[in-house]
Amino acid sequence: MRAINFKSLTPSIINSGPIILLYYFSISEVDTHFSNLFEILSFNLQLIIIYYWMLRGASIVGNGHVFFAGVINDVIMGLPMGISSFSYLMVSFVASYVKHLTVNISLFTDWSTFLVAVFISNLTFLILIHNFSDLTLTYTNIFYNSFFTVLFYPFFWVFFNLYKSMMSIQKDD
Amino acid sequence: MSAGREDFGIAIRSALLKKGARQKFSLFFLISLSIVLLILESFSINFMLSTRGVINDSIYRFSTFASAPVNIFSKTSDKIKSHFFIYNENEVLKREITFYKTEKLKNEFLKTQNKKLLEIFNMEDNISDEKVLSRVLLDKESPYLKSLVINHGAKHGISKGMPVLDGDYLVGKIVESNYFSSRILLLNDLNSRIPVMINSTGAQAIITGKGGKDPVLEYLPDSYIPENNLTVFTSGKDGIFRSGVPIGKIFVESDVVKVKLFSDPNQIGFVSVHIIDLNNKFKEGVK
Repeated sequence: MRAINFKSLTPSIINSGPIILLYYFSISEVDTHFSNLFEILSFNLQLIIIYYWMLRGASIVGNGHVFFAGVINDVIMGLPMGISSFSYLMVSFVASYVKHLTVNISLFTDWSTFLVAVFISNLTFLILIHNFSDLTLTYTNIFYNSFFTVLFYPFFWVFFNLYKSMMSIQKDD
Repeated sequence: MSAGREDFGIAIRSALLKKGARQKFSLFFLISLSIVLLILESFSINFMLSTRGVINDSIYRFSTFASAPVNIFSKTSDKIKSHFFIYNENEVLKREITFYKTEKLKNEFLKTQNKKLLEIFNMEDNISDEKVLSRVLLDKESPYLKSLVINHGAKHGISKGMPVLDGDYLVGKIVESNYFSSRILLLNDLNSRIPVMINSTGAQAIITGKGGKDPVLEYLPDSYIPENNLTVFTSGKDGIFRSGVPIGKIFVESDVVKVKLFSDPNQIGFVSVHIIDLNNKFKEGVK
């Protein structure tokens, strides 16, 4: 029996996977907040998707998509429009910067720089919330969310690496 | 040293301004666009408010459509689970019906007594019974905000500040009203604060969300000794919420007085929004 050749089957659909995932998590009720299992367990999958794909295939998840996913997320969450876009674009910025400087690809370098990206993104998010809305947020919630986002990055890194091996990405990325 | 600084500058400039393959916008342009959006929205111009309303309505509808397959799956699994416990549930319900039948008789007596007392003091029971029954469109959990989106809005007379009930129990208030949809801020949200009264003791407090499942009671009297299982009602002190709407039962956990809500915020399917004339209520408050 012949194995399915994904490359010849529908490359454009497979290549759109990360964008579909990013938009779906922004617009649907599906979330990565598991307070029913463990009260503090929540992580931000959008940040992981943006960081990984900006670093490993910028033509797959472009900055325009990151911006629109942020706007959608703001509407769904009831936040002032532009806050999530800004914080997502900060992750994108760190990824582009790291991509420009690094040559070797390893989980450790990705993971350690992702920590910086999450810190900058959440700091931006907090500053914007304080200045552009009346909402109150607890630092501990943001800390736990950031912690689990960074903690789970390697699992998604492995998963996305496997997924990437099925894709046909432009060489200049 | 200067070469290192140059590299740093080049990397930053490249990250902000360079457009990669198939990228139409630079990061710098999109970051600037986000700032412009934020500034425009903070001014609350009529144009921006109506635009935001239209965007909200369309995205909420699309979101309901996108979430439908997942919702159908979770509802089906809930139904299957509940079938296994149907016998035990029936026994519990039978006992509860007997209890509530006696409570209903007591309630009838108290209602009549209350009406008579109001007549004696020349007071009217001016609570509006106008309600808008709405379906929950969107229930997305967030670590920061606890809110729900419902399928009725300004078109149906709903406006910001109106109380929202699940059956007879208070669940929150309207914080955003679009033309076809509205957003409810739940009682367990960090930004929710509502004046309440504790049953039997009559102590006044403020029920405050802490972002977790159970809100807490703050500003209790100094001499107050908390007891478990007392019922918390709205006090109506803010002039918006009617008094006597049940909220939940008190329980004490690590010296913090918490409230177990009667209506589980994660299980709400339909709510009723109480239509009240908020302008008149505020005028009465000023008088």
